[in-house]
Order: sequence, then C-alpha cells, then structure tokens
Amino acid sequence: MDSAASGIQEPFDLIRLSLSERVFVKLRGDRELTGVLHAYDGHMNLILSDVEETIMIVDQVEGSANGQNTVNIAKRKIDMLFVRGDGVILVSPPLRT
Amino acid sequence: MSFFGFDEKNLESEKRRFLEDAARGAQEENLAVYTWGEDSYDGLGDALQEGDDELNDETFGGAGEVGKDFDFSGTALPGDSRTKPSEPANAQSLPRYQVVEQPATRTVQSNQPSRTNHSLESVWDDKSPFSVLPRMNGADRTAEHAHQPAKASTFATAPSQHSNLHQSIGLSLGGNAHKGVRTLEEIEAEMLAAAAARQMQLHAQAQAEAQAQAQAQTQALPQSLSQAQLTQAQLSQAQMRAQPPRQGTPQHGLTPPPRMHPHSQSPRFHQQQQQHQIHILQLQQLQQQQQQQRLLELQEQRERQQQQQLRELQQQLRMEELERQRQLRLQQMQAGAASHLQSQAIHQRHGSLSPSLSDRNLRRGQSPAMMNPRAQMEAPFQQSMQYLPQDIQLQQRLLAEMAQAEFMNNMQAGVQSEREAREEREMQEVLRQEAMRKIMEAEKSEEKRRRKLAKIAQARYNDLMTQSDKDFITRIQVSQLVTQDPYADDFYAQVYSALLRSRLGVQPEDERVLKFGSAGGVGLGFGQKGPGRRQTAMQRMEAQVERIVQNARLREKEKTSLNSLQGALGKTSGRSYKAAPRQLLQVDSTSPSLSPAHAHISKADVTPPRDGAGATREAANIGRRALRTTGDGEVTVRKEPLTQREALMILERLYDLVLDIEQHKREEVPTEEEEAHTAWSEHLSYLTDQLWKGLQVSVILETSEPHPFVSLLTPIKGKRLLPRVARHLGSDQLRILLTLILACFTQLDVVKHAPILDSLHDTRERREVEDQTQTFVGSVVQTLLPLIAKTDMHMTRAYLGILTDRPDAVNVLRTGPGIALITLFLSRVAVLKQNMATATEASEIPPPEELAAWQEQLDHLFEIVGPHILTLFPSVRIGIVSGLGFANVPNADVLDQPVWQFLASLAVHANSEQQSLLVTALREVILELVSSVHKGWDIDPEERKTRLNNINLFLHALGLDASQITV
Repeated sequence: MDSAASGIQEPFDLIRLSLSERVFVKLRGDRELTGVLHAYDGHMNLILSDVEETIMIVDQVEGSANGQNTVNIAKRKIDMLFVRGDGVILVSPPLRT
Repeated sequence: MSFFGFDEKNLESEKRRFLEDAARGAQEENLAVYTWGEDSYDGLGDALQEGDDELNDETFGGAGEVGKDFDFSGTALPGDSRTKPSEPANAQSLPRYQVVEQPATRTVQSNQPSRTNHSLESVWDDKSPFSVLPRMNGADRTAEHAHQPAKASTFATAPSQHSNLHQSIGLSLGGNAHKGVRTLEEIEAEMLAAAAARQMQLHAQAQAEAQAQAQAQTQALPQSLSQAQLTQAQLSQAQMRAQPPRQGTPQHGLTPPPRMHPHSQSPRFHQQQQQHQIHILQLQQLQQQQQQQRLLELQEQRERQQQQQLRELQQQLRMEELERQRQLRLQQMQAGAASHLQSQAIHQRHGSLSPSLSDRNLRRGQSPAMMNPRAQMEAPFQQSMQYLPQDIQLQQRLLAEMAQAEFMNNMQAGVQSEREAREEREMQEVLRQEAMRKIMEAEKSEEKRRRKLAKIAQARYNDLMTQSDKDFITRIQVSQLVTQDPYADDFYAQVYSALLRSRLGVQPEDERVLKFGSAGGVGLGFGQKGPGRRQTAMQRMEAQVERIVQNARLREKEKTSLNSLQGALGKTSGRSYKAAPRQLLQVDSTSPSLSPAHAHISKADVTPPRDGAGATREAANIGRRALRTTGDGEVTVRKEPLTQREALMILERLYDLVLDIEQHKREEVPTEEEEAHTAWSEHLSYLTDQLWKGLQVSVILETSEPHPFVSLLTPIKGKRLLPRVARHLGSDQLRILLTLILACFTQLDVVKHAPILDSLHDTRERREVEDQTQTFVGSVVQTLLPLIAKTDMHMTRAYLGILTDRPDAVNVLRTGPGIALITLFLSRVAVLKQNMATATEASEIPPPEELAAWQEQLDHLFEIVGPHILTLFPSVRIGIVSGLGFANVPNADVLDQPVWQFLASLAVHANSEQQSLLVTALREVILELVSSVHKGWDIDPEERKTRLNNINLFLHALGLDASQITV
C-alpha cells in the first residue's frame, strides 16, 4: 500500500510508529543517540531507554590547513534519558540489514 | 513565706505598735475615738454623754419612740435587711442634728486618729498582693459613702454632710483597721472566750437589753449616734461587699477571661482547676467557720455593749483578751507561712465582720462574698498578671499554687494530726513536681508556638491577598485541570494507582477522578498511602475544587442570562481567563473517535477477514491443514507479507482499539437501564470484533509468509499487546490464536533468530533477540498458559502435532519458547493421565484410541529428539560454537534448566525402552556434571546447587537420584 493511501498526515505519525522501538536520533553538537523510544511530544522532547550516545569531538590541529582535523568519537551508555526537543535534528528507525 | 513581701516580724511589730498607738491615741485624745462595741473601748464615750442630756427631750420632742430604734444590734439580727434603710435614716436624723449643733472640731479631731489608723492599715496592706482588691473597694466605698448620705438625708446641710461623711469614713475605717489586725486564730480564740462568757451572761443579757433600751433615752445618745453612723457605714459596706465580686471579677461568673482560654487546653490548667476546687471547698469550710465566728462575734459585740454596763465582767474579759493575744502571737509564729490567708482574712474582715453583712450572709445562706472566695483570691492575681509577660505569669501562677498548697497544709495542720499533714505534704510535693514538669512542657510548647506566631506575624506580605484573591487563583489553576475525560487525561496515574492498589491488596476503590456530571472532571492522581498532612491537604483540595466548580457552573448559568444586559451602559467583558488558549495548529481530524495523531490509520489498512466460517471451524481447518503439512491445492490469494511499517501502523491502531475497549468497559452501564445497556454491549462487541479483525488471525495460512499475525507479533510491542488483547477475547478466539501461533511457529522471529542466541558475543543483535525471546515467553506464552491448562487430550495431541510434525521440528525444540510450549503440552498430558487414574466417571477417561494416538505422537517426538538430545542444551550449542566445554559455558545451568525440565517431562511419558535411550544419550553429560559438582571445580555453591537440581529433575522422573551416581 502506498503512503498516500495509508494517509500519513503529519510527520509525528511516523515517530508514533516507532514507539517502543529502537530509534536513531541525531542531535545538535555532533551527537547521536540510539535507544528505545518511550515517549515524545510536540516539541520533539523524547524519552529514551537503553541509550547509547555517540559524541563526535573534532580537534582542530593548530597551524594546519583546513581539513586536517582529527575526529575523536566518545561513547557512553545511559539507562534512561530525557532528550530536550530543541536539540533534536532527526529521528529515524535504525537501519535494518 | 516572704514572696508577698510580708515579714511576719514586721507584721507582728506593726500590729503591736498599732494597738499601742490606738490605745495611746484613745487615752490622749479624750474626745475623738469612737470605739463603740470594741473590746478596747474604755468607756470614755460614757463620759461624753454627761453634758446636754436634758436637751434631748427638747430636741426630739419625745423620748418614747426613740428607744428601740437605737438597739441596732438587737434588731439587726432577726430583722429583714430591707427594713434597714429606714432605720439608719431615722437614726441619721438624730445624729446629724447633733453634729450640726455641736462644733465640727469633734469630728475633725475624731478623724485624726482614724486617719493614722488608715494610713497604718494601708501600709500594712501594701505589703500584700491582695491589697489591690480591698484598696479598690475602699476607694469605692468612700464614693459610695458620698452618695449614701445624700440619698438618705432629706434635710441635711452641706457641711453636715461633709462632716458626716468624714465621720463615717473615719469610723468605718478605724473600726476596720482595728479589727483588721486580728487574725483568724485570734478570732477563734475570741470565739472560745466568747462562748464561755456567753454561757455565763445569757441570763444577764436579756436584762441588759432591757436596760439598754431604757438607757437609750437618757444615757446613750452619742453612743446611739455613733452607732447609727456605724450602722450606716456598715450597711454601705455590706452593699459594697455584695458588689465587688460582681464588679471586680465579673469574668468568673460569666466567661473566663480571654487569657484563660489557651490554658484551658493545657493539662496544667485542669490541675489548677482541681486545686482551685479543693481550695474552694476548703475556703467554703473556712467561710462557714468564719460565718459562725461572725455570728458569735455579733453576739460578742452585743456582749461588749453590755460590757459597758457590766464592768465587772469586762475586767474578766480583758484578762482573757490578754491571754488570747499571747496565744495569738504563738500561733502566728507557728503559722507564719499562712500569710496570704491572713491577708485574705483581713480583707474579708474589712467588711464582712459587720453585723449587717453577717446577717445577710446568714439569711441568704451564701452571700456573693462567700460565693466567691476564689474570685477574691484570683481577681487581684489576674488583674495584676495581665500586665506581666507570660513567663512571669507562669512563675507567679506556680508560686500561687505553691502558696495555696502551703495554705492548705497550714489549714489542715491545725485540724489533722501531724502524720496526716506530712502525708498530705508529700502528696502535695508530688503534685507540685508533676505540676512543675507540666508547666515546663507547656512553657516549651508555648514558647515554640509563640515563636512561630511571631514569625508569621512578622511576615512581610501578610494578608496581602484576600480570600477572594486566593479563590480566584485557585479557580484559574483548577480551570487548567478540568478536562473532558479526566480518566484518560490522568491515564498513567490512574492505571499506576490501580496496579499499586491491586498489588497492595487494597480493595479497588472507584477511580480517583472528580467527575462533574458529563461536563468533565479533574483527575486526582493516585491516592496517598498513609494518613497525614498531605492526605488531609488533598481532601481539602478536593472539597475546594468541587466547590469552585460548583460555583463556576452557577456563574455559567448566570452568564447565559447576562445577555439581558444588552443595551446597558458600560463595557461588559465577554472573554475571561476561561477562554481556551488560541490553538497554534488546527488539524481537522478525519474521524472524531480517534485522536488526530493517528486518525490516518484507517480501517482500510486492515485486511478484511474471511467471513462466514465460525471460529471453531476455522481452528479445525487450520489444525487439519497444519497436520497434513501440505496444502491440498486450495486456491488462496497470496499477498506480500506486511512490511515493518504496516505492522507498526496496525499495531498502533490495535492499541487504540484496546484502549477504547478498556475505556468502554469502565463506562459500563448498569444492567437496569436495559436500552442503554444493550447499546453499550453492542458497541463493546463491535469494538472487540474490530480488534479481532485487526489481529488478522483468521487470514488463511498461505496468504503470506510470514503470516500477517506473525508480522504483528514481531515488534516487541506486538508481543506485549497480546496479553491485553486476550482479556477481551473469547476462549474460542484464543484457541484459534494458539493454533495459528503453533502453525506458524517457525515463522516467528524468536524462532528464526534463535541461533543468534547460541553465541557468547554480546552484540546488540543478540541482546535484541534475547529481549524479544524473553518478552515472547513472558507475554505470549503466559497468555496461552491458562488456555493450555484447560485443553483435553485430543487437542493437546493436536497442538503437539502441529508443533512437531514438520521437517525442521528440531529447530523448534532448540528455541526457548518451543521447549517451553512442548513441555507445557507434555505436562498437561501427564496431568490428564493422572486424573485418568483417579477418575470415577467414564466421561473423564479418554477413549483408548486417543491414548494410542497420543503414544504414537510421543513416539514421533522421540524420533525427532533422539538423535539431537545433546544439541538441545544451549550450553552444548554454545560450547560447540565457541569451542568451550559445555560445563564451562557461563550461566550454563540456568540456560539448560528448561531443557532438563523438558527431558524430565518426556521421561515421565517414556516407556522403558525410550527411557534407556534417554539415559544412554545423557549418560555422559550427567556423569560429567555430577563429577564437576563433586570435584568442586571452580564453581560456587549456588551454581552447584542449580546443577544438581537440574540433574535431579531428570533423574527423579526416572526414579533415580544424583546421589546414587558414583563417579
């Protein structure tokens, strides 16, 4: 069935489908989250459980040209997390293999 | 006892000095001292009379009528007090005349000693705290005196009034002062003496009275004059005495003084009250005594009048008097502590010793003065204490109590024996300590309270908001809370509280929702557990909210009639805070029954079910087909399996349906309202039908691979949905559901992905599968459990057949859910067999062919299991994959437990041949496990115990035990 027939009317309907599913969340400040979505609201505030946060730390090497940056990745795990909506860039179901 | 500023020595010396002064004054000044009726009267008054006696007849016209009027002491006692005013009026007319004629020097002079007396007395009294009352009374008395003669006299001139006034004051005060120094003991002594004397003089008395009458005409004019004035003074005094208790301490009769109120709660107050009562009782006794004394004294006074005439007796009395005073001094030394008793006695004697008052007391039985000894006692206290800080008040009260106790001791000391007195005193001591303790407590709490009050009182914004302001704000807040559907809006709190309550075993009360008719309501969250301040606060809030909503509704009604204001001058505001905030987004919802967010999930999404076939027939069909394992060419419309997103959408819709059904069930209409109830149940059946269709269970098996229902079960929330759905489904529908699950078992994600679990690598995938498996066992299998527990042997065999009659049946057995389900079926049959053995009715015994079929099915299972027994164990599989020994696989025993259970239940049904097969296959494993337990490799006792339990689980089914095995 095509998406037009399914009548998805607003974007939040898609997020609703991901309730209690694992989602991928991209945040401002070079952060990414994956976790199980428990709740959301119109501000895109999210409540996630079993979260893994990935933080990209970009180190600009002194005196070198642009593009010479090194990227460090820090990861941490959080059991339960409240994400404030103003930092959310995107929410998507995790890529399926 | 010096806290009243008393000094007994002072008292004593003062008194002595005063007596001497009086005597000296009387001797030195020939004229002035009017001491009629006093024991120290020296008869000088008699000498005064000598002069102008002859004029009396001229002055008064005749002597005849005068006679009896002057015998006040005689008439006063039996007579009515109401006749009194006339008598003094008569008497006054006489003396005033005389006073006018005779120069004022006499009165002036006569005032002098009395004044000194007065000052002495006041000095005396000043030292006592009780001096407040009598002094006040004294002041009032003068005022009264000022009025009294003016009223009484009809023709008196101003100077005469003046002098008269002075005289009366001087007389009354002088007399009082003289009497005032006498103590209770003195009076008692007097009484005794008087009683003795009276006995002797009784016969002489009548004679003396007659004599007095006769003498009144000739001899006793000045005497009668002074007596008349004295009587007048006494009368006014008597009136005064009657008044002060009412004037001075009105609070005692009517309401307690304001500052008494807080104490009425303290225990100490009650004690005080008790003590007061005791005190009152004793004072009443005292009063009675005093009354008797007064009576006696009255007679004594009469005697004293006779003494003037019977001088030989006077001599004797004087001797007695001296003796008495000596005794008095002794007694005073002993009873030094009873100082305030003394002072009290003094006050009482100030007025009440006059014959007229004692008359009244006698006649009324209880005069106000007598009624209120306590009032007299307390009034000065309270008056003075009101101006003191509370701490001092408390101390003073304590002191007063102690003084009272002391006083009581002293009172009783005279009457009771020494021992009793001591006991009494000990008791008093205990009481006092108790009182002390309570006072301290009260003081502490009082202090705390006061500090709090002070804090509150000092708060800067006190009373900034009026009650209506507060109500207004509460209204605004409540208006935010009121919703159309309080239960749904408070859903999580409501459900959570319901769960909590059911877990605590509390009777599930009605929902904690305030409903306001159909208009809406306020959710109240879940109830607080224990009682407490929050509880009461919540209750108060509820009440307040209810009130506010009630008011709001009333106002709403009024507002509809507000349209009548049209055309009226001034601006009427149409909007208020109650107006709903402007909506930022206004999305048209396609179907009002659904929330806008998921209205798109239309019914079209749900594949229309095949109609016609009944549920049971459906199940039978599925079962038959599954058993045959091959479709017999039935034409089916094959469809693509549901995509992940479609499944999720359907699930969302199903969740909405479930919530709708739950809500609808809560709104059950009572069966009495038949029409509404049928409508309600119709709607309910419609909803459940929708739910059933939405689950797509009835879609034929071959429609898609995996089956739509299996697709719905794939997400974790699909698995979690099943228990909630099952509550609204009938058992037939559930049976179909079970059959479908069994038929499509290999399609389930938990079965497909089961091999992922056979690895030790902790990947997210593995964790995901583990979660799913756990949820499946916890939700789906748990839901089906009660259903399986009720199936008969035929159906159980059929279920087992569906599950195992497939080429990849071993794969089913290698999954947790598969093992669990098969174990369930096996144990169900075991139970059925047991029931068969004990069954009495033929209907309960399954037919022999059924048993044979079961055995056939079991043999088939053995055929499947036989070659793969070892690989059934997760630990063995993990061991193969990771290259470890199965005994070394971490947590192996917990993983293997379901398999051991399965093997045990299999062994129960097995015949001896099959049992030996099982034992042969498992021999190695069992031996290794037992030896590992005995050798105690690096395993902790807990693990060893589980391992042994696992082995025994199986061995017990065979009638063996792990302990029988020797390694």
